[in-house]
Amino acid sequence: MSGMAEANEKLVCAILAEQVAHLRDKMDASDAFDLLWRTSALLSWLSGLLADINRQSPQASPVVERERNEAISEIAEIRRKLDHLAFVEAQRQDFAKQIADCVIVALERMSDAQMPPGTHFASADLAALYVSEDQRRLHEEVLQRLKGQAA
Amino acid sequence: MPIILVLDDSATMVMSLSHILKGAGYEVETGMNGREGITKLSGGLKPAAILTDLNMPELDGIGFIKEARKIASARFTPIIVLTTESGGRKRDEARAAGASGWLTKPAEPNQLLSVVKQLCPVK
Repeated sequence: MSGMAEANEKLVCAILAEQVAHLRDKMDASDAFDLLWRTSALLSWLSGLLADINRQSPQASPVVERERNEAISEIAEIRRKLDHLAFVEAQRQDFAKQIADCVIVALERMSDAQMPPGTHFASADLAALYVSEDQRRLHEEVLQRLKGQAA
Repeated sequence: MPIILVLDDSATMVMSLSHILKGAGYEVETGMNGREGITKLSGGLKPAAILTDLNMPELDGIGFIKEARKIASARFTPIIVLTTESGGRKRDEARAAGASGWLTKPAEPNQLLSVVKQLCPVK
């Protein structure tokens, strides 16, 4: 590869690294999580309030009492589902950010002006950045597929 | 209330774990990497259990476990690794460093609480 082409390629990698970093920083959907946690906390407070009302008005009709108990059960179930959703989504987001980090580091190294001319970032260098077995498995699948296509 | 020390470089993960643990009756202390965890333990924090990620800046999970085991008060504190890594090699490395348990992300809240409650029940 000519020196000019290599310099252009490094420039493209540097720009792409910045673009992916920008995208990764936008992945922090903290407002959505904050809303989920606040809703869960509010439901917990409402549930406690209903339980207090139950205790303080023992003369309420059986129908009202049953409806209050049903509401408390329903609130508990919705809270459980909200907490589950927030936790699973937080982990998904974390995983996506880690994959983005891996792409950013790879692109930064490929764009590194200090990299001696003629040296290249190899697939094994990329594999060393992985943080999960899923990434390593996918890496192997792609290598096998590309080898199959080349054969 | 038993204190759980949570270490993860993702602010969202830290908040999510804190929310679940507090909801189950635990007090939560947090740190964004292993170094912050060591600083807290060295400063006198005595958690009932520690939840740590593996891939963190400054001091990663394995490094944290090794250093934590050198602190007298944390020598036998249960340390649970919560990570995207599911490979046997990493698991063995964490166990050799002194990890007590392992949970692979994505984990369910019930899985997490079941492990934490076994190690340190809320009275």
